[in-house]
Amino acid sequence: MKRVLDVSMLEPCEPLERTLEAIAGLAPGDYLLVLHRRRPNLLFPLLEQAGFCWHCREGGAAGYEIFIWRQDDAAAEIGAGCDLQC
Amino acid sequence: MLSTANLSLEQAPPISIPLRFFLSAPLFGLAAGLLLLLGGGEVFASRWSAPALALTHLLTLGVLAMVMCGAMLQMLPVVAGSPVPRVVLSGGLVHLLLLVGVPALAGAFLTGDALWMAAALLALGAAFTLFVLVVGIALWRVTLPSHTVGGMRAALAALLVTLCIGGYLAGGMVGAWGVADPLLWTGLHLNWGLLGWVGLLLVGVSYQVLPMFQVTPEYPLWMRRFWAGGGFVCLSLWLLLGLAAERVGLPAWLPGLPLWLLGLGYLLFFVVTLRLLARRRRRILNPSLLFWYLGIALAVAALLLFAGGGWLPDAASATGSPLLMGVLLLGSALSFVNGMLYRIVPFLSWFHLQHRQLALLNMSVILPNMKELLPDRWANLQFYAYLAAVFAALPAPFAPESVSRLCGLLVCLSFLLLLSNLLRVAVRYRATLARLHAPIPS
Repeated sequence: MKRVLDVSMLEPCEPLERTLEAIAGLAPGDYLLVLHRRRPNLLFPLLEQAGFCWHCREGGAAGYEIFIWRQDDAAAEIGAGCDLQC
Repeated sequence: MLSTANLSLEQAPPISIPLRFFLSAPLFGLAAGLLLLLGGGEVFASRWSAPALALTHLLTLGVLAMVMCGAMLQMLPVVAGSPVPRVVLSGGLVHLLLLVGVPALAGAFLTGDALWMAAALLALGAAFTLFVLVVGIALWRVTLPSHTVGGMRAALAALLVTLCIGGYLAGGMVGAWGVADPLLWTGLHLNWGLLGWVGLLLVGVSYQVLPMFQVTPEYPLWMRRFWAGGGFVCLSLWLLLGLAAERVGLPAWLPGLPLWLLGLGYLLFFVVTLRLLARRRRRILNPSLLFWYLGIALAVAALLLFAGGGWLPDAASATGSPLLMGVLLLGSALSFVNGMLYRIVPFLSWFHLQHRQLALLNMSVILPNMKELLPDRWANLQFYAYLAAVFAALPAPFAPESVSRLCGLLVCLSFLLLLSNLLRVAVRYRATLARLHAPIPS
C-alpha cells in the first residue's frame, strides 16, 4: 500500500526527521512516496543504514519523488516498481 | 531498482573538523573587539594605522577565512561528492596553522616587528598553500561540477590571487623587496579578497544553502551558470587593466570599468536573492534570515557608496569614505557568515547524531532537533548585539574618538554571544552522543 508524505514546505532538518519517522511505521507491503522540493542526498545514506531501499526521480508537483521500501519486503518493492512505471 | 547513495557518509569529515574552525572563529572576533576597545579612536584614525590593519586581518582571516575553510572542507563531499584528501590531517593542520598565523600577523602589524611578520607569513603561507592544494584536488576531481562547485573553483582561484598579492605586500613591509605602488596593490589585495574569495564563495554557496535552508525557489539558471565565471573575469580584467594602465596610456575610465560591471553583477545577485526570499514558502522570520537581510542591506549600501564616487576618487585618502566602505563590506560579509553558521552548525550536529543513532540502533534516545540544539531566542539576541555593533561602527570612520570604544564593546558582546551559542550546540551534541553510546536499558 502506498503512503504519501509531502515535505516540500519544510525546513531542514524536518524533511529528514519526518521521513525517518514515517518509514519506521511502514507495515509489511507498504512503501512510502516522499514529495520533496530538492534531491535529498543526505537522506539516502541514512535510509540504507536503516535497512531501506530507495529510488529518487525528478518530477511531480514538488520537484522530486522518492520511493522508499524495506530491503526484505518484496511486495512493497513490486508496489513501488508498478507505481514508478506509471 | 535499488539506487546507491551518491554520498558516502564515510567520505564526509568527522564533525570535529568543521566544528574546530567554527568554534575558533568567534575568538578572533573577540580579539578584534578587544583591540577596538583598547585602541579606541586610533583604530579608525586611518586605514593604514597598525591597529586598523591588525583589526582587518583578525576579522578577514581569523573569522571569515576560518569559517569559510571549515565550511568548504565539510561541504565538498556533500555538494560535490568529492572528499578532501586526508581531510583529518589536512584540516587539522590548516586549522592549527591559522590559529598560529593570524595572531602572529596581528602582532606583526601592532609591533612592526619583522620577526612576527616572518612567522605569520610562514604559518599563513603554509596554511593556505595546504588548503588550496587539498581543496583544489577535491574540486579538480569533480566530474560533473554543479554551479556551486563552479563558484567554489572561482573563489579558490581568487583566494590564490589574494594570497599572492598579500605575500607581495608583506614582503615589502619587511623590506624583502620594494613595492612600487602600495596603494594600488592594497586595493587589489582588498578587492580580490572581499569581492573575489569571499563574494564568489558566498554566491556559489548561496545557490545551495538559500533554497535548502530558507525554502526558496532555486536561483535562475542563467545566474547560476554565468555569475561566478563572469565575476572572476571582471576581477581578472580589473587587475590586468590596472597594471597595464601604468605602462600603456589607457583612458582613465577604462581600468575601473570591470569593477563597475562586477558591482552591477553583485547588485543583480542581491536583487534576485531578495526576490527569492520574498517568495519563500515558509514565511517565518528566523535569525539566519535576519543576518541575510542585514548582509544584503550593508552590501547594497557599499555598492551605492561606490556608485556615488565615495571610493575611487577618494582612494588616496586614509579616512572617511574608504574606511566606511571597509566597515560596510566587512560588516556585510560577517553578517552572511554569521547567518550561515546558525544553519550549518545545528544541522551538522543533528545529522551526525542521526547517523550515530542509526549505526548504534539505539532508538530509545530522542534526538534534539535544530531548534532545540539552538533556540531562536539565543540567536536573535546575538543578532541584535551584532546589529548594534554595526550601527556603532558606521559613524566611526568620521568620528573615531566618539564611538570606537562603544563599537569595541558591542563587537566583543556579539562574538561572545556567538561563541556561547555555538558552544551550546556542541555541548548538547556531546551530551546526546554520550546518551546514544550508553548501554540500552533492557
